[in-house]
Amino acid sequence: MPRFSAGSYPVALPLVAVAALALSACSGGTSASGSSAGKTLVVDTSFNLKTADPGREFEPTGQIVDKALYETLLSFKGSDVTKPVPGLASSYEQSADGKTLTLHLRAGAKFADGSAVTADDVVFSLNRVIALKGNPSFLLDGVTVTKTDASTVTLVSKKANPALPFILPNPALGILSAKTVQAHGGSATATDGAEKYLNTTSAGSGPYTLTSFNTNTQVVLTKNPKYTGSDKPTYDKIVLRNVQAPTQKLNVQRGDSQIALDLTSDQVTGLSGGLKVDSGASSDVIFLLLNRNTKVSSTTANAKFAEAVRKGIDYKSLLSLAGTGSVQPAGVIPSTFLGALPASEAAGRDLAGAKAALTASGIAKPSVTLGYASDLTVDGLSLQTLAERVQAQLKEVGITVTLAPAPTTTELDNYRNGKEQLGLWYWGPDYPDPSDYLTFLPGNLVGLRADWKAGADPTLTALGDKAATTIGDDTRKTLYEQIQTRMNASGPFIPLMQPSRNTVSAASVTGVAYNPVWTIDVAALGAK
Amino acid sequence: MSPRWVPSKGAGGKGAGSEGREGAGSGDGDRLLAASPTARRLPGPRRRLLARHPLARFLLRRTATAVLLALGVTLVTFVLTNLVPGDPAAANLGQRAIGDPAIVAQFRHHYGLDKPLPVQYVTYLGNLLHGDLGESQQSHQSVLTDLSTAVPATLELAGAAIVVSLIVGVAFGVIAALRRDRFTDQLLRVVSLLGVSVPTFWLALLAFYVFFYRLGWAPGSGRLDPGMTAPPHVTGLYTVDAALAGQWPVFWSAVGHLALPALVLTAYTVGLLTRFTRSAVLEVLNQDYVRAARAKGLPGRTVLFQYVLRAALVPVITVAGLAFGALLSGTVLVESIFAWPGLGAYAYRSATTLDLPAVMGVGLVVGLVYLIVNLAVDVLYGVIDPRVRVQ
Repeated sequence: MPRFSAGSYPVALPLVAVAALALSACSGGTSASGSSAGKTLVVDTSFNLKTADPGREFEPTGQIVDKALYETLLSFKGSDVTKPVPGLASSYEQSADGKTLTLHLRAGAKFADGSAVTADDVVFSLNRVIALKGNPSFLLDGVTVTKTDASTVTLVSKKANPALPFILPNPALGILSAKTVQAHGGSATATDGAEKYLNTTSAGSGPYTLTSFNTNTQVVLTKNPKYTGSDKPTYDKIVLRNVQAPTQKLNVQRGDSQIALDLTSDQVTGLSGGLKVDSGASSDVIFLLLNRNTKVSSTTANAKFAEAVRKGIDYKSLLSLAGTGSVQPAGVIPSTFLGALPASEAAGRDLAGAKAALTASGIAKPSVTLGYASDLTVDGLSLQTLAERVQAQLKEVGITVTLAPAPTTTELDNYRNGKEQLGLWYWGPDYPDPSDYLTFLPGNLVGLRADWKAGADPTLTALGDKAATTIGDDTRKTLYEQIQTRMNASGPFIPLMQPSRNTVSAASVTGVAYNPVWTIDVAALGAK
Repeated sequence: MSPRWVPSKGAGGKGAGSEGREGAGSGDGDRLLAASPTARRLPGPRRRLLARHPLARFLLRRTATAVLLALGVTLVTFVLTNLVPGDPAAANLGQRAIGDPAIVAQFRHHYGLDKPLPVQYVTYLGNLLHGDLGESQQSHQSVLTDLSTAVPATLELAGAAIVVSLIVGVAFGVIAALRRDRFTDQLLRVVSLLGVSVPTFWLALLAFYVFFYRLGWAPGSGRLDPGMTAPPHVTGLYTVDAALAGQWPVFWSAVGHLALPALVLTAYTVGLLTRFTRSAVLEVLNQDYVRAARAKGLPGRTVLFQYVLRAALVPVITVAGLAFGALLSGTVLVESIFAWPGLGAYAYRSATTLDLPAVMGVGLVVGLVYLIVNLAVDVLYGVIDPRVRVQ
């Protein structure tokens, strides 16, 4: 309403006082709801939600919802994503060539409507994800799902797929009741029309069922009394509300909500009221990209220039922007995943070395533009702030960085088409396995965004191919470490940091754990 | 005033309501007006000239303008959204999905983005004729469904704000004018200036902090207590729906949640209306007919309400209409602080994700709101000021 505004004066306290009087009269009839009555748990989060249909969702809030509504074949316990644990499948075997995964279904598992979970339901649900060609379809790229017998399912991948047990816990691969979905327009084809139904009623065997669903307001989940899994949920009702971070803070402090998921480090310092704060490193890795395409910039394509940037950045100072809990990953793989480089390998600032490298590059007075999405915040950290800090640090080296901010929707195009000279972006894991980071290699999805073409580094490509097909955690770990060490030496990506991830909860809530895949498992929360 | 429904055929000349100022029928618009006060009061010779029904013609003309403007709104939003350098597929698909041409093609096909732009626009218009506003890429629902919850939410908020503002603002304005240059006037001047100049989002944050967090007088964010279920959808206004369904706890919760954000919005409009009412009343106070009324010895109350306020209301209504339109389309920051799922929040989210059908839907609604408000204001002119009727 800027039409009539003029000047700037302080508070309209008299009006607020009038408002207060009116309010006190109005709110008398309402009583604060909380965890006490009927065990309702209110979770505040800033929604990123489009659908509750597992075959179509791949948004953070959708993952929280579907984790509660549907069971997956395998799962993770708490925040540990290095070891898959049983879900609807009580056990699994992986063939030596890594191509075949055999899963044995848990006996006695039932959907919320009382019908049994069968191998047919599993085949239907997974084939549906593949056929819908939606955001999560890539999870099962090249995978064929077949029923071996009533309680066994076999997943055959075209290429060796050691990551599959780490992919299966994704809530997008939740198992639906084939009968129910088919009765409401569902089919494992592209013409499937069950989304509307699944946004009103869930068709899973998870610890909760869907009571109401709105992508802008709130999602209400009710305990599934027929849940057959091991960990029975504590709360009868879960209300997920769409609330912005500053309001989340006040709500949780006041006891209007019991959990706030999106508070930044600044916001969690000095919280009162016996609240618990769970801070840890996010698995989002923010990195700097230097384009290899000489047509885009001959400066960033210069290897010595890249070295100067790598040595010129003060990583510790960047971490101070993100606050407690943030870490500097030593490679592109986040510190909490299998195959992460040890922290001791992380790059540090070497100003003299940076200046020497810059001189060696032969570029006098280098000037580059840094593209980034100015409206994007990664776990509460604004890329704008980060970009400004990087600009200042590189100035000390003698590199002029011109900031080129743009809205995410615009800048994503530049990034994906490889048009940025320097780019500031992050990669959030699709599934917690190091193979997800092979996209950074030459000729792959992210590699190409820096114009790192296939064949640019044959040794690295060979290592990547080997890592993608090798079974055995120890061998894989070694391979991924080698890949990252080589990428750090000669690649176009500079990992900057993993911001901190804070979960604030009321003192009465127990069992809060941040999981990189589904943020929080509401069914695992307890009360005291 | 309540709209009067006019039987579409046969009721012609007699008219359903003899004072039908606001026609709701469209088919027999020409006949509707026979009974309007405007027509009756016209001098003889001109009656035929104005084709008997000036109000009907007025409404018809307005409807035609509205259709043209709505068309313009869709065209402008369509062109502008497509000028933004960005790809809806990139904005909506995940990092991996965007790398798979089959998925991108599927996405484009589903939302009709694979067709040339003119074809997309014509298709949109064709669907619009059937009341189909398209499917939102964000919520995967029809835009109409999304708007049917978002618009009433904002309408409830803005409606409450404008009602309170009108009562308080006009009262303040009249007091200020009557007590011109005395202490009360100076105090109200400060209050209204503060109301107009304080940034609304800041006031919203402050009010939420003080009244919810510090004092605990106001309930938390949202439209209802989290434990409650929304009342059955009739109007989409939670207070009205809850009252209709007789769910009084829900009603009180809705009122409680509505109060604080509505009052924050009120702060600005009250300031505005106070200033306008004051100057309008001052202007009227010096008119001859007011002096004449006083000289006749009419009671002060009669002079104030029948002579002064009625004449002063015309500019006030204009400003109130504009302010109401601005409230409906400009509540985004307040909505975000109070987690109020209204039109502003929906518009913002749609715009940042290049959700074209949703952006165009919002554009249409806002355009329509301004048209309706302007129409209502124009009709009210006639009600308040007989001079307008005769012209």
